[in-house]
Parts: sequence; C-alpha cells; structure tokens
Amino acid sequence: MEQTMLLQGTLDLLILKALAAGELHGLGVSRRIQQMTGGTFLVKPGSLFPALHRMEEEGWISAFWGMSETNRRAKYYRMTKAGQKQLETEARRWGRITWAIGRALRMA
Amino acid sequence: MRLFAKTRSFLRNLFLARRLDADLDEEVRAHLAMLVEEKICAGMPPNEARRAARLELGGMDQVKEQVHEARTGHLLETLFRDLRLALRMLLKSPGFTLTVILTLALSVGANTAVFSLLNALLLKTLPYSHPERMGTIYTRITGTQQSEERHNLNGEQWELLRDQVPALISGLSGSATGVNLRAGASVQYVRNGRVSAHYFDVLAIQPIIGRTFSEDEDRAQGPKTVILAYNLWRSCFAGDPNILGRNILLKSEPHTVVGVLPEGTETPLHADVYTPLQAGRGGEGAGTNFQVITRLREGGDWQEADAQINRAWSHRAIRYESIGNPGANVSYYSVPLQKGQTDSLRPPVLALMISAGLILLIACANLAGLTLVRMLRRTTEVATRMALGASSWQIQRQFWVENLLVTLAGGAAAVGVAVVALRLFFSLLPEHFLPVAGVPLDGRVLCFTLFVSVLTSLLFGMAPAFAARKLEFRSSMTGRTVAVAGSPRLRLSLVAGEVALTVVLLAGSGLLIRSLIHLETLPPGSNPDGLMVAKVSLDDVRYHDPAAFRRLLDRGVAAMRRIPGVESAAIGSNLPYEFTGNDWITLSDGKEAGHEGGTDWVYVTPGYFETLQIPLFAGRVFTEADGPEAQRVAVVNRAFARKFYGGGNPVGRYINKEWEIVGEVGDVPLSSGLDPVAPLQTEETLYVPAAQLEARTLSIVHVWIQPDWVVRTGGQVADLTGSMERGLASADPNLPVSGFYRMKDLLARTLVTQRIEVVLLSSLAALALLLCAVGIFGLVANMVSQRTREIGIRMALGSSAGQAMMQVGRAGVIASVLGLGLGLGIAAGALRVMRSAVFGVSVYDPSTLATAVVALVLVVLAATILPALRIAKIDPARTLRVE
Repeated sequence: MEQTMLLQGTLDLLILKALAAGELHGLGVSRRIQQMTGGTFLVKPGSLFPALHRMEEEGWISAFWGMSETNRRAKYYRMTKAGQKQLETEARRWGRITWAIGRALRMA
Repeated sequence: MRLFAKTRSFLRNLFLARRLDADLDEEVRAHLAMLVEEKICAGMPPNEARRAARLELGGMDQVKEQVHEARTGHLLETLFRDLRLALRMLLKSPGFTLTVILTLALSVGANTAVFSLLNALLLKTLPYSHPERMGTIYTRITGTQQSEERHNLNGEQWELLRDQVPALISGLSGSATGVNLRAGASVQYVRNGRVSAHYFDVLAIQPIIGRTFSEDEDRAQGPKTVILAYNLWRSCFAGDPNILGRNILLKSEPHTVVGVLPEGTETPLHADVYTPLQAGRGGEGAGTNFQVITRLREGGDWQEADAQINRAWSHRAIRYESIGNPGANVSYYSVPLQKGQTDSLRPPVLALMISAGLILLIACANLAGLTLVRMLRRTTEVATRMALGASSWQIQRQFWVENLLVTLAGGAAAVGVAVVALRLFFSLLPEHFLPVAGVPLDGRVLCFTLFVSVLTSLLFGMAPAFAARKLEFRSSMTGRTVAVAGSPRLRLSLVAGEVALTVVLLAGSGLLIRSLIHLETLPPGSNPDGLMVAKVSLDDVRYHDPAAFRRLLDRGVAAMRRIPGVESAAIGSNLPYEFTGNDWITLSDGKEAGHEGGTDWVYVTPGYFETLQIPLFAGRVFTEADGPEAQRVAVVNRAFARKFYGGGNPVGRYINKEWEIVGEVGDVPLSSGLDPVAPLQTEETLYVPAAQLEARTLSIVHVWIQPDWVVRTGGQVADLTGSMERGLASADPNLPVSGFYRMKDLLARTLVTQRIEVVLLSSLAALALLLCAVGIFGLVANMVSQRTREIGIRMALGSSAGQAMMQVGRAGVIASVLGLGLGLGIAAGALRVMRSAVFGVSVYDPSTLATAVVALVLVVLAATILPALRIAKIDPARTLRVE
C-alpha cells in the first residue's frame, strides 16, 4: 500500500470527516480514513494519538470509554458542535486550495 | 470559548497528570489488542499478528511520549521537571551550591549597593517639578590655565544675572550656617539656609502656609523674616497654624515668620530655617561666596539664556578669573542642575562602580571554574543520560536551568547583602554628607541586580557549556574519572585573571590607606591629648559689638578655668585640623614692603598657644595687655615666615601698615580654604588677638566660622562637658553648644571623605582577595581529588608526599605568578587616575605595591597549601583499591 505524506493540517480534517458519520475508537478512525481515501493514507498511531488528544484539548472532539465490537473496553471519540464548525471551515478552506492549485496546474 | 477550552486542558494536564497517564496507557494498550485481533481475524497466526501489530504501533512509550508533547503546557511541564531535577542535583552537593550562592551574594551584593549609590546620586532626577528646566552656571576659561567648572558668584554677578537675564528665574544661596533659635524658654542650634527672593520659585516649592520671600525682603537692610521647614515647625512650634506674623529670635534678632514649607520638602541646603540672603556687592558679596540655581521661564530656551548671561556678565567690573591668567577667555554656559550638583561625585562613584565590576569579573572567573569542575565530575552521569536517549539540547538545558536556579538564589541573597552594606555605609556618614535624602533600593536597582545576576550566570555558564560540547561522553562511560585535557589551562588563566584584578584593587586601596595614614599622622604641631572642645555659634547680632564680644570671651574663659581639673582654657576661631578663614595682607616694611598675599587667618584669646601647646619659636604670644586700645599685634607661624620673609625672623616686622608681628609659632595642619592641595596641610597662618577684632569683621566672620572653646585637663574629669556647658551658660545662657569634640574627632570630621574612600575600596579589595583565595583553593583542591589515583601510584612507586604536593601546588603558584605580573602591568596604567585622591605618597609607592604583593602571595600560599595537605593523607594502597 503506497503511503502519501499528509499535508500539514490535513490530518485534522480527515479525522473530523471520519467522525462526522459517528463515534469511533482510535483504530476505527484510522481504518475509516484508510477506507475514505481509498487506501492512500495510512495514519500511524504515532501521529493519530497526538492529533486526537490535541483536538480534544481544542474542544473539537470529545472522548468517552465504550465497548468495542469485540467487547473490549476502548476509548471512543465523537465530534462536538465546535468540531462540526471546524470541519465546515476546514472543508471550505481545503476546497479553495484544491481549486486554486488545480487551476494553477491547468494554466500552463 | 477556545481560550476557555485551552485553559481547562492546561489545568487538567497540570493537576490530573497521573490519571491522564493511566488513561492514555489503557487507550494505547486497547489499541494494540484490537490491532492483534484484527490481524488474527484476517487469518494471521497469533504470534505473527502480535509482532506485526507491535511494528505498526511503533513502540508504546514513544506513542505516549508523542501524545505528551502534543498536550498543552508541555513546555512548562518539562521546565518543572528540569527545575525539580536541578534542585535535587544542587542539594546533592551543598558545598558547591553554598559556595556559588555566597560568591554571588557578595559580588552581586557589592554591585547592587554601589549601583544604588550611583542611581541615587547620578541617575535619579531631582525631586522638583520639571527638573529638566533647572540649571546652574558653569564657567569655561581658556588660556594658559584652562578650567571648566561650577563657579561661585559674587554680588556683582548676582545683580547682573538677576536683573539682566529675563530668560531665567534665578535663585541664590549663601553657605548654610549654624545659628541659635530662641523660642520661648528653649534655645536651639539650627541650620540656617540663606536664600534670595525667588529661590523657592526656582525649586518650584510653595509654602503650605504663608509665602516665600519678597524682593523687598531680599534687599540689604530689608525686613528680617524667616521661613520654617516643616519638621522644625512641628517640633519647635507644635505645628501652630497661627505662626505667620509671629516674631522668633534667630541670632538674637527678632525675625517675622512669613511661611512654612511643606512636609518632606528637600532643598539643596537641607536647612531647618531659611532667611533672606540680602546679597549685595559689599561684605560677603565682595567675594565669590554664593551659589546660583536657575529655572528656565516658560517659552525660553537655554541657548537664549546663555547668550543673555554672557552679555550681562560682560559688563562686570571685577574679573577675578583673569587674575594670574592673563589673556584668558572666559565664557559661561548653563548646565542641568542634576549634573551641576553631582559633578564632583561622578569620578569617585564611577571609580567605585568600576571596582565593583572587577569584583564581578573575579566572581565570574571563580564560578566558571567551579561549574567547570562540577561538570567534569558529572561526566559519567551525563554520559549515562545520553546513552538513555537524552539529546545534547536536553543536557545543556539541564545545566542552564541549574545555573539559573543558583543565580536567582544568589541574586536574592545579594539584595539582602546590599541592604546590610548600605546600612553599614550610612552609619559611617555624617549628616548631609550626600546631597540626597536617601539611597533607596528602587525598581531600577532591582532590575540592575537581576540583570547583573543573569549576566553573571551567562558568563560563568558559558565556559563549562563550551567545554561540555568538546567532551567525548560516550567514551567516558567506561572510564572512571575522565582525563580532562585542555581544561586546566582554562582554569589556570581564569585564576590568573582574578589574581591580576585583585592586585589592582589591593594596590589601589593600599594607596588610599597609606594616604589616610599620612594625613592622620601629620605632625600635630601641638599636643592633642587631654583637650576638649565645645563649638558654639556666635552668629548673633549681640556679638557684632566688640565690647560685648570681649566680655563674653573673658567671662567664658574664666568660667572654663574655674572647672576643677581644667589646667588651661582658651577660645579661637579655629583649631588645628579645622577649616580656616583667610585674609589678604600687605607687608609694610623692609625690602618686602608692598608685597601682598593670602594667608590663613585665626583669631585667638591669650592662652590659646599654651592650651594647645603649640611651640613658640621667637618673640612672645598674646597677653591680656593686647587689648583694643593697645598696639595692633599678630603672631605668625613658621610657614608664614618662610613664605613672606624667606625664612627670616618675622618678629618686629609690620603688616597692613600698623600691625606688629610679635611672635613666631610652630606649624599645625589645617583644612585649607586658601589653596586646598590636600585635605590637611600646613600653611602660612596669621593669628590675631580676639580682643582686637573690629565690628566690621565681627559682623561677618561668624557667618562662616563657629569658634572653639577649648580646655586642657590633666586627667579624667567627671562630667567635663556638663561643666563646660554650665560655664558657658554663666557667660551667656542663650548660647547652646552645637557639639563637643576631642581633637581626634575634629581630625575625623575633616578626613571623613578619605575615610569613606578607604572603607569602600578596602572592603572591595578584601572581597576580591577572598574570592581569589576561594578560586585558587578550588583549583588546587580539584587537582588533588582528580589526581588522587595518579598520586597514589607515584607514592607507591616511591615518590614522597612532599614531591606530590609540589607537583599539584604548582598550578596554583603558576596561576598566581602570571596573575601578579599581569596585575602589576595593569596597575601601572590604572593607578595614575588616583593621583588626585592620594596625598603624601606617590601613586607608584614601592612599599604599598610590595605590601599588596606580599599580602596576595601569603593568601595564595595558604590557599594552595591547605588543599595540597590532603595529599599527606592519601594512602596509596587504598586509592588503588578503590579504583
């Protein structure tokens, strides 16, 4: 599986998008991102956990302990209202950037 | 909202750290377990699944550490951890920590104390409104004798300045004098500031009740009025709100109170009462006896004011600056009052600050040496930490945090040291010695202390930090103590540097001490033992009358003589060691007829020379027969005969037409007002009988001079001062004694500046010597402990303890010899600046330099030998086993 370098700030966007559909534990977030991006992004725990904790401190997501599908105690994350807003902002920004970059590339 | 969330997580991270860590641990563990399950479900064998999961996770601890780093307040947490570790490390070696803190406390403390002096004297703005608009006038003289300084004014200059310089408000003051104030039944000796009209306008001081002096009151023969300082008004008049218009007796003359100054008011005169100066061109105004302060009027500027001053003073009839300096070009310019008032203090204060700076450098050298050693001792610890994954930055950070910690502790202790030092210093000072009310440790001083402490920590932390970078920690892991190539040379030069600076300070303070000893042991020319002196102000209108003055002296002397145990008594305008008046005389006969010159001038009663036991060389001294109606007579000293008669016999010669010189006496040291080349010197002196003084002289002489009532006793006399006070009261009950003195007190009063200089510079030099000793001791002691094993081997192979000591002690000796040479070189250049502060001894006085060198050598030897003695205790067998 090819790994692509994540752009700065992109990880936050992907995590928020992953959580938009519902609450997930860490591994779930990782797998969801893998699935959403068609396997382009494989988020390693060394990047995932710091990002999750940082975003929790920002108030975009909240954490709680729940039971996994294999009946194991696991920490789950869900998106907050602030996170919803952040996702919208970030998505718009991302849209603008891709549009601009794409346009620049088409110009030549 | 976001800030709130951040703060909450910050606090949570700070206080719930343990629970959060447990949480994180469980989360990561669960993650790993789920990864394994996922892989087993995908069909991997359990063993391989676990291995692959671990690989994918990338290390539990690393992940946790990465989360830590992402958390809010991570930096602060690290800092806390570093501080905790630093504190633990420092407490583990209390000797080192204490030495460093003590060194910092003393050196930074000395700097803080000196800087607070500098701050109070040179930096703080004057306590008046708009001090930048206040000034004084300097005279610039170019020609053969150049000078540029604040000159006093005479009456003519004052009138021209007051009337023809509209750009300025000018205020004039005469010297503050001691006068007697009678309020009701009590008589008190107070300090009287004599000031012109508008003096308080220049200071921008408004009385709390009443007004300041009017121009009419400031004219000669104007009404006698007085303004009271707040404290005197409270203490003497119980703060009477109806004091205005009341008459109080000052100098036995009624003065009408016209105002009271506000509480806490400061003036350059520091007086208790103020009276109008009434300066004119005659009398006091004939000479340059006044000091001027100015304030720029609204809308004026200094250039315009200076132009007006130069124009006004070009009309002067008297040009005293040109006397003895023909063709001189004289001009005037305004200088800010702050600078004008502190100019004479600037060189000594700056010299002191530089000396304190040297102390700081010495301290830095010591501390650098100490931390360097500590650093090397910790090589193994550092190597272990690096092996466990600490980065070089983390190691360095740890060192700097430790430095910062001791620095701050030392800085705090330094403030305490400064407070104590300043208190001690102030207990040495006579009243009004400094032109400021106090020397506070204000914000600026504390900022300075902090800055100096941090600078010190940077300076002494730098050398070890550089040394640390060069160390091969990894290789030292295996070694016992690391062999430190190169670093002894660094330490050696540090110690040599401090020895050099100490030599300079020692030589400087040695010179001041020699100079003080010279002044204090000048041949007294009299017998100072067994004398008691009462000073009494005679600035009193009743004693402008010669007959009343004579009566007072006769009665006073008689009363003193009646005191049991008193052998003789006399009164004189001055005693040896005191400041004297001076006069201008003309020789009247012989080949010197017509010669003129200045001479010190003293009036005395008969019995003065006998009481002081000043030897008579020729002719006679005064007797009761030398009265107002008799032939005018004078007695001169040997220096007088030498100056005016080329050493010939002065007896029988005439001066000022009709004065006959009847005797020649020995020289005594005086504080000269004539030609002050030194604080004490012997000078031509003219003695005249008090009984022959004229009313004209009596009306002004006591403004400046408080006569001395002196008695000689054979042995200890019970309640001598009380008896003298009662004797004086029997002559005039309204004359309070302003103070009793022994001759050594008079000497001390005159030499107070020199004493203070000696105390200050000597304490700094002693501090430098102490630091130096600590530095050398540290150098040698460290050598001994580092080379214990080597020495053990040598001794096992037959070397004697003595030889080993020589080998180790050599470093201390080499450093000291290098430092001594360097220090003497620096001293050769630096001591020249002390020329104006040193009397009776050359700045390159060989014995002073030799003493400084010997003192240093002794200290160096002691500091080298003491640690080297430890070698004697080394047991070769044991050292070898320990390793």
